[in-house]
Amino acid sequence: MNIIGESLGTFLARQTVQAATPLIMAGLGELLAEVTGVINIGIEGLMLMGCIAGYAAAGISGSGGVGLGAAILVGMGTAAVFAGVTVWAAADQIVAGAAVNILAVGASGLAWFFYQNAREAAHRSVSLGRHVGFQSEAIPGLSRIPFFGPMLFDQYMLFYAAIILAVLIWLLLHHTRTGAILRALGDAPEACQAAGISVRTWRTGAVLFAGACAGAAGAYLSIMRTHAFASDMTGGQGFVVLSLVIFGRWTIPGLIAGCLLFGGINSLQQTLQTTRYTSHSTLMHALQYIPFEFFQMLPYVVALLALATLSRSSPGPRYLGQAWRQ
Amino acid sequence: MFWLWTAMAMGAVAFSVLLVLAILAISGYPALGILHRWIIGAAGNRFNLAASMADACPLLLTGLAAGVAFRSGVLNIGAQGQFLLGALVSVALTTRVIFPGPFWCVIVGAMAAACIAGGMWALLASVLERYRGVPVVLSTILLNFVALYLVRAALHGPLQAADTSAPQSPQLKIIYWLPILITNTDFHLGIPLAFAVAVAMAVVLGRTNFGFELLITGLNPRVARLVGMPVVRRQFAIMFLSGCCAGLGGAVQVLGVTHFMLGNFGNYGYTGIAVALLGRLNPIGIAIAAVFFGMLDTGSRFVEESSLALPHQMANVVKGVIILAMLVASAWMMRRGSRVRSPEAGVNQNPADPQQVQS
Repeated sequence: MNIIGESLGTFLARQTVQAATPLIMAGLGELLAEVTGVINIGIEGLMLMGCIAGYAAAGISGSGGVGLGAAILVGMGTAAVFAGVTVWAAADQIVAGAAVNILAVGASGLAWFFYQNAREAAHRSVSLGRHVGFQSEAIPGLSRIPFFGPMLFDQYMLFYAAIILAVLIWLLLHHTRTGAILRALGDAPEACQAAGISVRTWRTGAVLFAGACAGAAGAYLSIMRTHAFASDMTGGQGFVVLSLVIFGRWTIPGLIAGCLLFGGINSLQQTLQTTRYTSHSTLMHALQYIPFEFFQMLPYVVALLALATLSRSSPGPRYLGQAWRQ
Repeated sequence: MFWLWTAMAMGAVAFSVLLVLAILAISGYPALGILHRWIIGAAGNRFNLAASMADACPLLLTGLAAGVAFRSGVLNIGAQGQFLLGALVSVALTTRVIFPGPFWCVIVGAMAAACIAGGMWALLASVLERYRGVPVVLSTILLNFVALYLVRAALHGPLQAADTSAPQSPQLKIIYWLPILITNTDFHLGIPLAFAVAVAMAVVLGRTNFGFELLITGLNPRVARLVGMPVVRRQFAIMFLSGCCAGLGGAVQVLGVTHFMLGNFGNYGYTGIAVALLGRLNPIGIAIAAVFFGMLDTGSRFVEESSLALPHQMANVVKGVIILAMLVASAWMMRRGSRVRSPEAGVNQNPADPQQVQS
């Protein structure tokens, strides 16, 4: 069976990684923040801010790079508000995160309205020009490898960045003094303070980094994988990131495995939705009698089942979600 | 303390409204005109005021759902899913099942079933935490999505209206609509019902042994066990009660306001968390906060429909800023004042803390 000239397996592999990329990117930031003891359930909102900022900046400047930069900055800016409230004012992180989500829905809606009005007033198109925004970038040579080539070396720029970042953060966390400090911030903040390390400053740094990652992940949705903005375009992916970080037991390999699993099930369900009516295989034919909503539900059910069945060997950062009062 | 809190809330409201108006003014929109229309739209006459109350009604019930859980330290983020299931069950019963009996029996039955559906859905998260160690904060988030797609599957399948291809239920028979209490307005029976639930909650949680046990088992299970409280049963009761409120909210929204159900049925569950916080996790406070949020929503829709056509999402900016401002102000107040922890500071904490999971 052929979809755009490649086998179903290759197609699915590429789609899996494409779906997993924003989750990995946002997850890396959230993981780092949670390791230092700050849980941000506003990650959904941060991604949404990244979506609109990336789209609007790319549309106005005509450059995808500017869009990505703006998304990162806006993600950091929104995260700075969150850090101010939770790290510096020591307010409850769950509630503040919920507030950031609500705020982001409003702010992105308002920004989208302003953007549309400004473009129409200037007699310019609201949608992105053909060459604005990113295309996937195949790495010459490597992308020709069967199966793994399209999966790993014919992706959007952010995927390569996310993988490099993942390796760097892993090295940072496990092989440097900085990493030891970061992990201690979540497990023993009192020890950090005794050692003269400012818990708040370090945690703020981690939260800002998470904001940058979430912003970039948002831009991936609006100017890389698709070139469009919709007010509900994150569709709960931020919440998925949140659960995948915990699902992966706060380890980077665990996080990436979770993201790939989730992305895989998601792209499988999307492919099933589009091919089950046209395919001649009996299995595909049988599947069309299952409502497609059940396929959409599948990633969440699998995540729940995995959480319920996997062992709970690592309880996570001890002070996760608790403010540090100096 | 009460007055200080009220003053703080007013300050936060003023701050957030001014911030949004300033943004609008800088962007070249007539801020004062917008504010004027916003107020008229929210409470300018009895029709708009009734619409605000109707908007407040589901928020009050989801706010109570979040409040009853959060005050015991149970992080139920799942009011959204419980709300959706409640709405779904009430639609299913009123459109697809033929009841023998008078219309009010059907309405009461649909609301009761919605309560139970919401409660059971919430209980699922409690059971997962108790027996499988899945943190409630996580399972409720995931269950929200499961509920969302369950609802959409049902609205695309057995509950779909005959004349559409969209995920949409048929309209309820008019006899099953909640009666309108003030003629020509949106003030339906569900509104006083929601307020009655808030009062009942205030009494049960604040004045009875049962309410006290709910509080203690949530906040400190070890102490609760040592003094002989049935900890597990009470922990389940917290979630069931929380889910009941959210499920009832879904039923009231369907029977009283929309009279049919769409695949996209609002974000009342998530907004309920904000309402609960603004109301200081206290049922009466939650009622006041819900009315205020309802006014914000109704007023912003009025602005959107007026010649200014500003998107109604700006109400969400106000809501978000209010909560953040309140968080900062109360933290500041706590540091200056006594060392007593506020209720929401007791919202603990570590979703993966093994001690909490085990007890």
